[in-house]
Amino acid sequence: MSEIAFFGAVEIGLVYALVALGVYLSFRVLDFPDLTVDGSFPLGAAVCATLLVAGVNPWIASLVAALAGSMAGLVTATLNVRFKILHLLASILTMIALFSVNLRVMGRPNVALLMQDTVLTPFYGLGLPDHVVRPLVVLVVVVVVVLLLARFLNSEFGLAMRATGVNARMARAQGVETDFHIYAGMALSNGLCALAGALFAQTNGFADVTTGIGTIVVGLAAVIVGETVLPARAMLWALVGCVVGSILYRLAVQLALSADAIGLQASDLNLVTAVLVAVALILPRMRLKAASKKREAVR
Amino acid sequence: MITVNGIHVTFGRGTPLEKHALRGVDLTIPEGQFVTVIGSNGAGKSTFLGALAGDVIAETGSIAIDGVDVTRWATPKRASLVARVFQDPMVGSCTALTIEENMALAAARGRRRGLGFALRGDRRRHFRERIAELGLGLENRLHDRMGLLSGGQRQAVSLLMATLAGSKILLLDEHTAALDPGTAEFVLGLTRRIVEENRLTTLMVTHSMRQALDYGDRTVMLHEGRIVLDVSGEQRAGLDVPHLLALFAKQRGGEDITDDSLLIG
Repeated sequence: MSEIAFFGAVEIGLVYALVALGVYLSFRVLDFPDLTVDGSFPLGAAVCATLLVAGVNPWIASLVAALAGSMAGLVTATLNVRFKILHLLASILTMIALFSVNLRVMGRPNVALLMQDTVLTPFYGLGLPDHVVRPLVVLVVVVVVVLLLARFLNSEFGLAMRATGVNARMARAQGVETDFHIYAGMALSNGLCALAGALFAQTNGFADVTTGIGTIVVGLAAVIVGETVLPARAMLWALVGCVVGSILYRLAVQLALSADAIGLQASDLNLVTAVLVAVALILPRMRLKAASKKREAVR
Repeated sequence: MITVNGIHVTFGRGTPLEKHALRGVDLTIPEGQFVTVIGSNGAGKSTFLGALAGDVIAETGSIAIDGVDVTRWATPKRASLVARVFQDPMVGSCTALTIEENMALAAARGRRRGLGFALRGDRRRHFRERIAELGLGLENRLHDRMGLLSGGQRQAVSLLMATLAGSKILLLDEHTAALDPGTAEFVLGLTRRIVEENRLTTLMVTHSMRQALDYGDRTVMLHEGRIVLDVSGEQRAGLDVPHLLALFAKQRGGEDITDDSLLIG
């Protein structure tokens, strides 16, 4: 793997670390399988790119993109909480709707950001090569998000949100407005994914409606890899695990793609990801089964 | 004080499975009274407790707690006034969270939950002191996940959690039914102590007539969604399980009691 390919993998891993954190919030903290992210990630890219082309400050554009993602999360949460649509289906509805929304936002299938100022612009030309500057800037954003999120999840409000996901009935009996926490968590989760989309557009120089496909699987893969390499109960370390998982996942993919002997192409990425996630989901169950068989054998 | 006025609850209205679970229950419980609730399966005991807790909203009638009409309040809002311990220890606590996190969750009952740390130093100390009172050695296991505790330990912690936010009403839904007899005895003893120390107005649903008479100051029997027996004071002191069974049979119009679970001493 070349140096540029390595930094490229780290960069994309860090961008998707934000998706992983969002997915961790929905899947793990709230126990809400949410596919909205496949729509909120390109929504973030679309909103950010459109605003950049219109000459808006890149940080403000990124923030607005995140807010747009939060709105998408709220739509899914409303469909589920208020109208009792199954969470998976609710999120698929929002996701499919967002495809049209994203096309409307951009006015065309993709927007190029070749000459636009981005959040990265001020940091280019400070002496470091561009392919190092990009992951560094994203890293700073990710670190800030991880610290804030850990602080949030350890607050009284955050604890109530975690309880909502673990045992909603008990949470309600302890006075937690579980519905409200689902709204808040879903907004936060999709806001993070949209922020990732905004950073993706800025680091890659374009926004495209199709970039969202498989976002959820990549996010989930990162969460699972993170849980495997860093099995932690403390909130901060669980979140760091998501980030580490996202980077490791990208490096593994890069390694697989660059090893000519395997004969994989870049277009095989989604297949490789799906297989990886499936294996990661199956393995713990197999291990459990093997363990119980062993116990029976001892008896 | 709890005032319940003619509440009705029907499940699955308009379906073949329609069940008129509560058919006009009236009950006034003065402050500090410990009421035990008995009845056969499907008599409406759990529904009644659910109606008090807010899980089930009464269609007609009213429920007032300390003079405040709470009939339309949902569970989270009522939680500011009412603490609960569930039958299944898994339901009553967050198994994936630590003991101290569970306690922090309960301690914030009825307060706005802000962005301050849920577990500050002073709170941790307070939780440690309180859990030490249980005498189970759990004060050294505050960082353990709740799921690692035994059923009895979890019910004990749940009882303690019920007292952390200063609610004056305690609802116990067969909270010892899932425990072995020895552990049940311990948890019941703890229940009595906690109720007395905190002067809680308590409703305890139980399957055991023995428990119903041994604990508390008043016993109420539900049958087919109605209160069919309400004894306290001397009348209750003179009662034994066979008397109770006879009274119960009389209320049912001389039917034989076929429900085994009611006979368990």
